[in-house]
Amino acid sequence: MAPVAVRMKGISKHFGGVKALDNVDLEVLAGEVHALLGGNGAGKSTILKVLNGVHVPSAGTIEVAGVPLTTHSPAASRAAGIAMNYQEMSLIPTLTVAQNVFLTREAKSGGLIDDTEAERRAAELFAMLEVEIDPRAIVGDLGAGQKQLTEIVKAISQDARVLVLDEPSTALAVSDVDRLFTFLRKLKTQGVAIIYVSHRMDEIARIADRATILRDGQNVTTADIADLPVDVMIEHIVGKRSLGLADVARNVAVQGDVALELRNVSGRNKPKDISLKVHKGEVVGLAGLLGSGRTSLAKLIAGIEPITAGEIRINDRPVHIRRPSDAIAAGVALVPEARATQGIIPSQSVADNATLAVLDKLSKFGFVDAAKMRATTDAQIERLSIKTASRDHAVSTLSGGNQQKVVIGKWLASDPDVFVLDEPTAGIDIGSKSEIIQMVRDLAASGKAILMISSELSELLTACDRIIVMAEGRSHADIPHANLEDPADVNTNAAHRVQVAEQRLQIAIQNALKSEQEISNDLH
Amino acid sequence: MTFTDTKDRTRNALGGFLGNWRQNIIYIGFAAIFVIFALTLNDRGFLNPNNLLNIVRQTTMIAVMAVAMTFVLSAGEIDLSVGAVAGLASVTVAMAIAVAGPFAGIMAGLATGVAVGVFNGWLTTKIGIPSFLTTLAMMGIAKGVAMWISGTSAVPILSPGYSWWFGGGSIGHVPVLLFWMLIFGVVGQVVLRRTSFGRRVLATGGGEQAASYSGINTSRVKFRVLVISSTAAAVAGMLYAGRLQSGRFQLGEGDELSVIAAAVLGGTSLFGGKGTVIGTIVGALMIGLINNGLILMGLEFSQQLIARGGIIILAVALSQKRV
Repeated sequence: MAPVAVRMKGISKHFGGVKALDNVDLEVLAGEVHALLGGNGAGKSTILKVLNGVHVPSAGTIEVAGVPLTTHSPAASRAAGIAMNYQEMSLIPTLTVAQNVFLTREAKSGGLIDDTEAERRAAELFAMLEVEIDPRAIVGDLGAGQKQLTEIVKAISQDARVLVLDEPSTALAVSDVDRLFTFLRKLKTQGVAIIYVSHRMDEIARIADRATILRDGQNVTTADIADLPVDVMIEHIVGKRSLGLADVARNVAVQGDVALELRNVSGRNKPKDISLKVHKGEVVGLAGLLGSGRTSLAKLIAGIEPITAGEIRINDRPVHIRRPSDAIAAGVALVPEARATQGIIPSQSVADNATLAVLDKLSKFGFVDAAKMRATTDAQIERLSIKTASRDHAVSTLSGGNQQKVVIGKWLASDPDVFVLDEPTAGIDIGSKSEIIQMVRDLAASGKAILMISSELSELLTACDRIIVMAEGRSHADIPHANLEDPADVNTNAAHRVQVAEQRLQIAIQNALKSEQEISNDLH
Repeated sequence: MTFTDTKDRTRNALGGFLGNWRQNIIYIGFAAIFVIFALTLNDRGFLNPNNLLNIVRQTTMIAVMAVAMTFVLSAGEIDLSVGAVAGLASVTVAMAIAVAGPFAGIMAGLATGVAVGVFNGWLTTKIGIPSFLTTLAMMGIAKGVAMWISGTSAVPILSPGYSWWFGGGSIGHVPVLLFWMLIFGVVGQVVLRRTSFGRRVLATGGGEQAASYSGINTSRVKFRVLVISSTAAAVAGMLYAGRLQSGRFQLGEGDELSVIAAAVLGGTSLFGGKGTVIGTIVGALMIGLINNGLILMGLEFSQQLIARGGIIILAVALSQKRV
């Protein structure tokens, strides 16, 4: 058996009266990819922060390669060979890629920092990873996927013996994930122990050797991946028998008139020449890789980015959307991609957040009517079954899934006709995910028109009636849900049907990319 | 092929400068104002070397403090106490020279700056009071102490040697103050751009959480920039004292605004993560240039204030990146 790279025994961690970790063990071998699984609040992030020295454990011991870790600080953990990339990003937006990769370990010549040397070394690393990122680019100008890759390159550049990857693939395109996995396998052969956190079960099955599952701050099980089929994994994570997304009832809503129509709409850079219709009661999905222009399209409709050509029609009337307030007035609500910064105001209460979009309606002579505010908030809490200690608690105290519900509730209160959802389940655990998807179906059933972006195809397939495939800013295919299912398939297993449909959608996305490449080849 | 590459690169460099004109507005603006004053005020002696050196004399103290302020702002903090600390240091240095000679005076001045900086840094990083409030309070405390120990009167400095080195002297026609400005500018630029400390400062201001996750002790960085700022303010106070051959609590009064304006004009972000010492020096010179030109124009003090404010707003507005 390979030597143990990390042995954490009996780790407990309290925050005030709250027990985040209760006597947790984690053992990772050299040269293995060890998945760490659990729902939101299961304690994954906490135990990783203990390992990384950000948190000091209340009890328990940590050994790295057989040597006990006596001090708990980020510096001590790094010295022991632990490198981590964080979900929250450990990159400084104002520095360049190369400066970030070598932050605190700058290349020097004659005692002074040599950025040219750092850029050369970063370029070497990127070449080895086959990643196309300019080491001289400012990190703040990069897209989410490129940031994530920079983050990982930064972590692996530290000659780590233990590499912790927290949701590394969230923002990555399929091809980037493949590249990442190829690289992780290379690292494995060099004896690096990799701790891999992800909400995506298919990825875990592909890359991990073993898995440790946590729930409510306690160990549930540690086992070989071969002994953990996806439904068993989900069962351990959720704690009760669940089919995951397959549970969502796809009750077909009666479709009404066209609520949202785009006619040859283009943005400054992307999207290009998009025409589409979304009916009342219909959920239309936007599938595509990172950079395909899905988010730009959403921003266009919501008035965040300007339209350069074409026409947007709501309820069969042309509307001029120049800023977010125009879109809101026209009946469009955007649930944005970055929940923490664009969706909620974390330090304010559930009630403050839930009524933000309708403050004028709740006010008289400029004073907010507190009773109306309470009533509106309670209605949303009840309708969306938001789990919160009270309407006066800060939104930041809620789980990710419930925070997202508050965002949706905020817009529901303003009674829009069109919902644009950009990655509504990003970073939300699988139990809450199916709840959010169910909510999307229910919204459609109540007559709303919904345009939804998601990078998780199984999610799109569960939620949507129709899926538009985008690549390079253009729309390439408009596929009704039924066409993705195999009519000859007599298998009644819902999970299996989603899997088949997912493969077909995957092929459609790849085809779209291929035809874009052919177009650009023709141009050159 | 090589030929085309070189041509391309030249074009790209020029295009880059003009393309980033907002970033480089300070240099363009400095040149523009200089040319305008040169054309309109030449008959009043604007281009006279003595007048230009006077601008340097009046600007050095602001520049010295602004170089340190560039570090403070880059780390995402602010120091409002620099003007008052300069006044306090001018008094302590003058009192110490009177009692124990120039060397003791220099030590006393530096110690004043370090002590205030340590106190500011301790309150900000250990107690957790935002530097805006810490240094706002310190502004009053430093001024009060200076008034109290000097009995609100000027303390004369009777050491010609000290006065020569600290602001009064000149080599030929070139004032010693010019060298002080150059030394602070060069050292500041190299430290901010080319040392690990400078990189840590920029990282702390650019993203504090990310910086601390990367293993940077952000508290220590903030502590240090505040100590540097107060110490530089004390040096500025010593230069004031040397130039005027006395220590007075009023010296440096209100300088904090010019100092912050110089740094921001030069392209340093008030929100941290972005800073340039060369820009700061040019920013300080630009403020001096404007003051000088407005005086030569014969504007009243009230009109000077209004015109100076307008020019600064215009420069900063032009440098804003429009989203």
